[in-house]
Amino acid sequence: MTAHESLGERLIQQGISRRAFLKFCTAMASMMALPPGSAMAIADALSKTLRPSVIWLSFQECTACTESLTRSYSPTLESLIFEMISLDYHHTLQAAAGFSAEKSREDAMHNAYGKYLLVVDGAIPIKDGGIYSTIAGRTNLDLLQEVAKGAAAIIAVGTCASFGGIPNAKPNPTGAVAVSDIIKDKAIVNISGCPPIPAVITGVLAHYLTFGELPELDDLGRPKSFYGETIHDRCYRRPFYDQGKFAKTFDDEGARNGWCLFELGCKGPTTHNACATTKWNGGTSFPIESGHGCLGCSEPNFWDAGSFYSALSMPAGALKLGTAAAVAGVAVGAAVSVANRAKKQAAQSAHRTATIADLKE
Amino acid sequence: MSASLQKGLSVLMEVIDAPVASFFSSCVHCGLCAEACLFYTETGDPKYTPIYKLEPLRRVYQQEYTLTGRLAKMLGLSKPVTDQELEIWQPLVYDSCTLCGRCSMACPVGNDIVYMVRRLREGMAVAGHAPDGLVDASRRSLETGSPMGVRLPALMAQIKHVQADTGIEIPLDVTGAEYMVLMSSMEIINFPEYLGAVSKIMKQAGKSWTLCSEAFEATNSGVQIGVSDIAKVLVGRIVDGAEKLRVKTVISPECGHAYTALRWDGPNLIGRPYTFDVLHILEVLDIFRLEGLLKTSGFEDAQLTFHDPCQLVRRGGVLDQPRNLLKMVASNYVETRDSGKMNWCCGGGGGVSTIDEAEALRFAAFRVKKAQLEETGAKTLVTACANCRIVLEEALEHYQMKIDVIGLTELLAQHID
Repeated sequence: MTAHESLGERLIQQGISRRAFLKFCTAMASMMALPPGSAMAIADALSKTLRPSVIWLSFQECTACTESLTRSYSPTLESLIFEMISLDYHHTLQAAAGFSAEKSREDAMHNAYGKYLLVVDGAIPIKDGGIYSTIAGRTNLDLLQEVAKGAAAIIAVGTCASFGGIPNAKPNPTGAVAVSDIIKDKAIVNISGCPPIPAVITGVLAHYLTFGELPELDDLGRPKSFYGETIHDRCYRRPFYDQGKFAKTFDDEGARNGWCLFELGCKGPTTHNACATTKWNGGTSFPIESGHGCLGCSEPNFWDAGSFYSALSMPAGALKLGTAAAVAGVAVGAAVSVANRAKKQAAQSAHRTATIADLKE
Repeated sequence: MSASLQKGLSVLMEVIDAPVASFFSSCVHCGLCAEACLFYTETGDPKYTPIYKLEPLRRVYQQEYTLTGRLAKMLGLSKPVTDQELEIWQPLVYDSCTLCGRCSMACPVGNDIVYMVRRLREGMAVAGHAPDGLVDASRRSLETGSPMGVRLPALMAQIKHVQADTGIEIPLDVTGAEYMVLMSSMEIINFPEYLGAVSKIMKQAGKSWTLCSEAFEATNSGVQIGVSDIAKVLVGRIVDGAEKLRVKTVISPECGHAYTALRWDGPNLIGRPYTFDVLHILEVLDIFRLEGLLKTSGFEDAQLTFHDPCQLVRRGGVLDQPRNLLKMVASNYVETRDSGKMNWCCGGGGGVSTIDEAEALRFAAFRVKKAQLEETGAKTLVTACANCRIVLEEALEHYQMKIDVIGLTELLAQHID
């Protein structure tokens, strides 16, 4: 792979048809809630663009983020990701090892300084000088700071890189933190999820290549087009929630009827992600569709937010104080109303027809 | 009897009704009404935010009619409304509010802000804080029958002139006529062409109509100053006249607040329904058009535009009629920006044109109208309110803009052979 080929040329070489490419662009445009005409704009920009150099750093992680991207059902639109970029360093995927692996990273940094994209998966341990995770003898902290300096933008893939994730869970022995806790002077996109949805990674890259800038982000730095709504907002079981039909155990009639999993601890209402619409495994299903509540993996501190099986909130018991409070409320309301009426009537009966003489002191 | 703070506060307690209470309790303090008010947009001064103009009324409501307000008052924790404060508020409640109702349209929770301004004026007036210009106009209305002091002989003289001009007899005190036509003093003194136009149109339509010697004045200073007792006397004169002559329909002239006073406020003021209908002259003309009784010839080719009087379009719903009528006689009619329901006020409604102290502010507020007119490039401005017309003419003169202003009824009559 060379960085000097345009994506269009590259696709032709790979025997990918124009039709497949346009389908990909249309899917990207619709997923990112862009106007319909932008599919062609994406196609146009992507086919002309020179593939940007990407350096992928993996820190305290489990490789599921990479798995999510590479093991998605094949051939997928997501696989095109590797045609869109020139992946110059990724220590799980690259053939090179040892000094030559590090040299390829240094070369890539040197050749595209200030222009390459930095993708990070995994959290960064900072306790005790960051010694709990090292690559080629250097701490993750050191490596991140060095590579981030020359990056055009940083994409934090997965909840660990975005918010600290599981390494950051209590008691956090290594002092793991998110990329955004360390790097303050670069644009960072958080693509959270454990693992994140592959199409979201692709979508953010397509947006960057098409428009030359990162997409609009929410207050946690996540692209709004994918994280703008909650799982609950888009859940196909939502009508049952609205009707008050809940599964009480994983094997009761409600569960078999596909009722809402809220009482079984589903975190859908507080979780912002696109699972309910893009789904997983080539659009097959997503956790709630498979009968398990959402864990809330794309939100900060999801591991420490209580049991996966306790409900977010439960209605208070029968309104014990309710009746008394309602009676008191009605009584106070009635008293105020009677007093107000009396006051207004007094003012009305005190009314003397106004004449011109009444308008001057 | 004389004005006093005590009387003012008592009246405010009296005029706070369920709508006022619900408006105050549903206000979300968003401030969107500010951008709707020409006095705010053209000065940038936040004191002109419509809801802020109601502060004394809100405080009386809060202190007298809410539980927490009553408790606070009992414990001496609330700030009572003072005479000094009402004096400070006078320019906010009168000089900088034309009762145009644009704020009521902008309010996202549907509060009728102008309804509340009208109620606050009730208290302000009997507390002695109404502007002298409006007090004098009200006095003249009660004493002479007209805010400008126009008496019957003056009308008779104008009738003679108009009859000489048109050769059409103007009927007076005809019992059983279908329509009773009212005038505003402004029309009698400044724009008598209106009377000539009506007589031409009525003649063509073959309708019976009359003026009433005891009730020819349509305007109502009581509504503007905000004293319902005075408004009631003034409306009562028209009701008496119309019922005495047993007319079917009373026609409000080209005057905005007269229409509001007569059509919407009137029955509530006198406490019973009328025995006759009330229509604005433009509504009558549009009915004539539909019935084929209004036939015009020729078109105005020069570009012209229309100024919607607030009381007609926003408070009265007369929106399509002027456009239907204009299309009969104008080939090159253009709308201004924000025309129709959200049209900007001329700056002189709600009695503001009678307040001398408000003149500088009124000219400042006119800048928005000026911009609207300049954007169209029209050299003729048509309207349907004599008060708007005089205010527009003065301001156009002030800004040295060469635009002619004409009443729509008059324009139509020019195209009747």
